[in-house]
Amino acid sequence: MKKVIEVKNLSKAYKTLKVLEHVSFDVKEGEILGFLGPNGSGKTTTIHCILTLLRFNEGTINIFGEEMKPDSYELKRQIGVVFQEVAVFEELSVFDNIDYFCGLYIQDKKQRKQYVEEAIQFVGLEHYKTFYPKQLSGGLLRRLNIACGIAHKPRLIFLDEPTVAVDPQSRNNILEGIKKLREQGATIIYTTHYMEEVDILCDRIIILDQGKILAEGTPNELKELANIEEKITVEVTNMTEKIIEGIRKFKTVDQVMFEEGILVVTYHKGKNNLSQLVDYLKENKVVYHKIFSERPTLNDVFLQLTGKELRD
Amino acid sequence: MIIFKTFWNVVKKYKGTVLLYTVMLIVFGGLNMTTNESSMDFVSSKPDVFIVNQDPGNKVTTNLIQYMKNHSCIISLNEGKDAIDDALFFRDVNYVIYIPKHYGQDVMNGLHPKIDVKTTGDYQASIAEMLLKRYVEVERFYQSRVKEEEKFIKTINQTLETQTKVDITSKLDTTELTSVSRYFSFASYSIMAVIIFVICLVLSSFKEENVQKRTMISSMNYKMYNKKLLIASFVYSFLVWVLFILLAIFMFKGTMFTIRGFIYMFGALVFTFCSLTLALFISTLIKSKEAINGIVNVIALGSAFLCGAFVPREFLPQSVLTLAHIFPSYYYIYSNDLLKTMETISIHTLKPVLFQYLMLLVFAFVFILCNNMISKYKQKLDRL
Repeated sequence: MKKVIEVKNLSKAYKTLKVLEHVSFDVKEGEILGFLGPNGSGKTTTIHCILTLLRFNEGTINIFGEEMKPDSYELKRQIGVVFQEVAVFEELSVFDNIDYFCGLYIQDKKQRKQYVEEAIQFVGLEHYKTFYPKQLSGGLLRRLNIACGIAHKPRLIFLDEPTVAVDPQSRNNILEGIKKLREQGATIIYTTHYMEEVDILCDRIIILDQGKILAEGTPNELKELANIEEKITVEVTNMTEKIIEGIRKFKTVDQVMFEEGILVVTYHKGKNNLSQLVDYLKENKVVYHKIFSERPTLNDVFLQLTGKELRD
Repeated sequence: MIIFKTFWNVVKKYKGTVLLYTVMLIVFGGLNMTTNESSMDFVSSKPDVFIVNQDPGNKVTTNLIQYMKNHSCIISLNEGKDAIDDALFFRDVNYVIYIPKHYGQDVMNGLHPKIDVKTTGDYQASIAEMLLKRYVEVERFYQSRVKEEEKFIKTINQTLETQTKVDITSKLDTTELTSVSRYFSFASYSIMAVIIFVICLVLSSFKEENVQKRTMISSMNYKMYNKKLLIASFVYSFLVWVLFILLAIFMFKGTMFTIRGFIYMFGALVFTFCSLTLALFISTLIKSKEAINGIVNVIALGSAFLCGAFVPREFLPQSVLTLAHIFPSYYYIYSNDLLKTMETISIHTLKPVLFQYLMLLVFAFVFILCNNMISKYKQKLDRL
């Protein structure tokens, strides 16, 4: 597949504070690349450097095979950005806002009108065309923000945490919209600190922390990095140190944690871990209420890589 | 075109503000027209005078009393001290003259008898005092030269009757010119407020951090984008000027189609340009809409008060006028006042007016310079 973005050795520092250190990655045509990392990890800075909104100290950035510069207007024509903060005019209606931002790319009035109508339909704001931003809920405002960024039908779209502070309904709507954009052929770079979103949405994920790429790969590839096969969580009422020690002696058990009536057992491999654990608890007359087994999450990967939770 | 279209769409949101300041100007202009009545004729003012005469029957004394009678209103009062003090206090009388005993005789003998007076100290009283002093000076001038009483009195009266005839040759309609001058001076407030308020608010929407980011990453040339915003601001300011000029033509048709009227219009245009550069400078400095509201009040209202847009400059203390030199409005209002009193209009007489316009352009140049420096610095900082 063709490379849409090539970032090589990108470094940026504010005086002595390094915010990006030798970041290199590619984005292939038609894929959704997830940028995952806690707040302050360097996700937005990377995007701002790519978009030439920020200067960087070192490295090269190529988009569609050309070097990206502040005056690369032809390249910019093919790029759409949805920023973390809502960027609209308070004084303009929904329609006029989308029309304005689309007008920065599309001069032809007729074509622009059609694009604006399509963008409104895409984000489901048909009934709010004449509304002003102040009259919209947080979720609808986010949708307007997205419409303003994609109305000109860009081939490359940057979505910087578009679901922050959005209700579940609008969030699903946004995520569905992103999938549709990809189906229409757009390449998407999606930054977030919600691991569930990148897990269900992205083809590839880059995990960033403190300005460095910690890991890169498909969601499954990353989960393998965590070296966890299964995690079983049990809600118990009676538990002794002796029983915990017994569980630790199982061959496939990696880690056992017990805190406030919750027992968490992680396994590095094995097929019948759940039945084995249930049998053991029964044998030792441990009363349990809820029990569930899950595959490792990206949070576990992050924990494994950094020793801290993603949302720390 | 999208920039222009959006600029006007945003301006439309603030049409209420433009309307408010326009109505204020119309009301002020209208009030000026109805209250500003002046006359070309002099009306002599006669003070109320009371004379306590302790030298009755003497011809010289009687002549003094007659002179005062001719030039002031002689009031009848009780001669008691309290009655006189009360009359002075209540302004029933402005000036009290005490003619001492043997006044006439003493004058004829070459003496200078003292005339006591009581006064309210107001300008009417000073007229009475001036009359009395004038009489006494003439009397003293002739007392050593003319010894015969009848001739002495006649000479005094002949001298005092000599008057200077003053003709007003000016053809200026001072009533209308005062109204026009006051209109344009008040317009300095309206123009400045409407331009700073609207342009700063509109540009703050365009320069809102995230909107600006979106613009910078768009395929529109950012320099071209700024140029279009600048042109839209110019057009808006020009239309504000046109609106206020049309109002002036509607109210003062007689003056506006004269050379003086055109100079007033030109002055307003220079001031509008200066206000625009100030608005652009403020919009670079301040992005918050709430802060802009405050700034408009401080700059437009403050300078209007200090420079004489509301109160004529003649009534402002010198210290205030000295401070007002830091505002462009001062030079504009001063130019309006100069034009109002200008008898003939020529390159030579217009020099002081043109100097004021030059000062406005100097202000505009400084605002543009500061604006460029700050915006370049900010751009550099933003992309660090």
